[in-house]
Parts: sequence; C-alpha cells; structure tokens
Amino acid sequence: MADKSKLGMEFPAYTFTIEKDKIVEFAIAVSQKENKEQINPIYYDEEAAKKAGYQGIPIPPTFPISTFFWTGGGLMATVKTLGIDLNRLLHREEEYEYFGSIYAGDVITRKMKVVDMLKKGKRDKIVEVTLLETDLINQRGELVVKSRTRLMER
Amino acid sequence: MGVNYNDVEVGNKMPVYISAPITRTHLVRYAGASGDFNPLHHDETFIKMIGRKHVIAHGMLIMGIVGEAITSWIENKYLRKFNARFLSMTEPADLDDMENTKDRATIIVSGEVVKKFEENGEKRIQCDIIAQDALGSKKLSGFFIAALP
Repeated sequence: MADKSKLGMEFPAYTFTIEKDKIVEFAIAVSQKENKEQINPIYYDEEAAKKAGYQGIPIPPTFPISTFFWTGGGLMATVKTLGIDLNRLLHREEEYEYFGSIYAGDVITRKMKVVDMLKKGKRDKIVEVTLLETDLINQRGELVVKSRTRLMER
Repeated sequence: MGVNYNDVEVGNKMPVYISAPITRTHLVRYAGASGDFNPLHHDETFIKMIGRKHVIAHGMLIMGIVGEAITSWIENKYLRKFNARFLSMTEPADLDDMENTKDRATIIVSGEVVKKFEENGEKRIQCDIIAQDALGSKKLSGFFIAALP
C-alpha cells in the first residue's frame, strides 16, 4: 500500500553527468545491437551529430529514465520511500516532454515529486496509482525535459 | 532526407518497425544501460516467488524500442513529446525453443499521423503509436508530437 502521507512530497535533488559511453550503451540496448558501429553515429560521433544539426552528442528519447535509476538509490529506494510493494508494482505510463536538448557532458539535476496518489477500481480489484513528475534541469538552469511516471500497485 | 511538415498528411502511416526477438541478454543489456535492476527482469528465483513463469521485459525497453522506431523516421531533435501506456507484459524468447517463443518476443511498432497543428511557433504533428507482438497482443499504446521543418 502506497503511503498516502507522501502525496506532495519532493525528493531531494540529485545531479547526474551525461556520460558519452552511457549514451552509446543505451543506444545499443534499445536498438538491440551488439556494438556501436551498428547504431546511428549521432550517438557516438560528435562530428556526425553536428552535421545532423545537434550541438553535441544527443541522448535517445527514453534516456532520461536513467537519471532516475542511477541517482537517489534508484527504484528500490524510491518504492521504499513511497511505501510501494515491489512485488505488486507495475509501470503503467511514462511521458517525456522535451523543452530542450540534453547532450553528452551536460550535468543534469533531477527534481522529482509525488503529484498524485489515488485508488481506482472496486472491492477486490482496487489498484493504487502513484503519479510522479520529474524536472530535468541542465547546468545552465534550463528545464530541458519533464517526465511523468504513473506507477500502479496491483 | 528527413520528413518535412508539408510532406505529411493526417492518416499517413509511420513506417512499420519490427524488433529482433527480445532475449534475456537484451534484458540484461538494457538493465545495465538504464540502471533498472528490478529482479522481475532477470532473476528467475524472484519470478517464482511472485508466482510467474518467466522474467518479463522492462516496459521501458519496449518504449525504448518504440523510440528507436520513431527516430528511424523522424529525427530525434524534432521530438517534443513522447507518451506510452503499458498494456501487457512481454516475455523474452527462450533460446532452447526459439521457433515457438520468438513471436511473443518480437515487437512490431506502427503509427498513424492524427493531427497537424501549429504550437509555440512550430509546425507540429501528432502521431499515435501501437506496439504489439507478432501474435497480435498489444504491449503499448501512446503517441508522439514532433515539430517538423
């Protein structure tokens, strides 16, 4: 059972450096390849990225999730704080809104808060939903990505 | 190359993208890349504890594959929003029985442009997305918004 007193809670701000090789690793993983020569060169070759109109090496669209898992104790610490039972946890929805770009070398601060906690369903089929909102802010103080994560306990 | 706003009409389909059959190795690689070490995705002893048969793929891996599908069509830099609702779990293929298990682990991503509009001084499209396995089971539905030249 999610702990309702956590509604409105803001997690501590964590910083995360966007490392070049971590981008490569992620791009290989989501394209199901074996090595970097098989992926889009914008994810490892700065010149190729600049030629394609990026100011640096960009991140794949879902890369922002790794700022969640690699800081603040990741998933385990977060579900513990929220009182969510890992055995019943389902990821229901994820959304990214891109206001700017994130490039290799950027230092990103992630600020996450609990914006909603509610019960849905009837009697024996009640599920609990927790909505988290995360701002990713770069080293110049610009909000670059906002993410919304909906977690559900069966 | 690249897609221009004037070339896209409502009703246009995004090119269909077909993933490789997802294996446990893909799950481990994604776990390491993203940092998602929920044992649900790699530890068979945890799976038994919660009464399931197989490890399941990260929903975010499926969304990542969809992201790859989208950016094979629309350049990454044009994305403004990307939404995914997870509809069902995906079990990886078994190496000792690929023939019978590869279809449940193959993700087919399709999409259709549903809207063209101007916002924030940009010409934008909204494209609805569906990802399903090769057996027809829906894994994810969502949409993306892109600003096109």
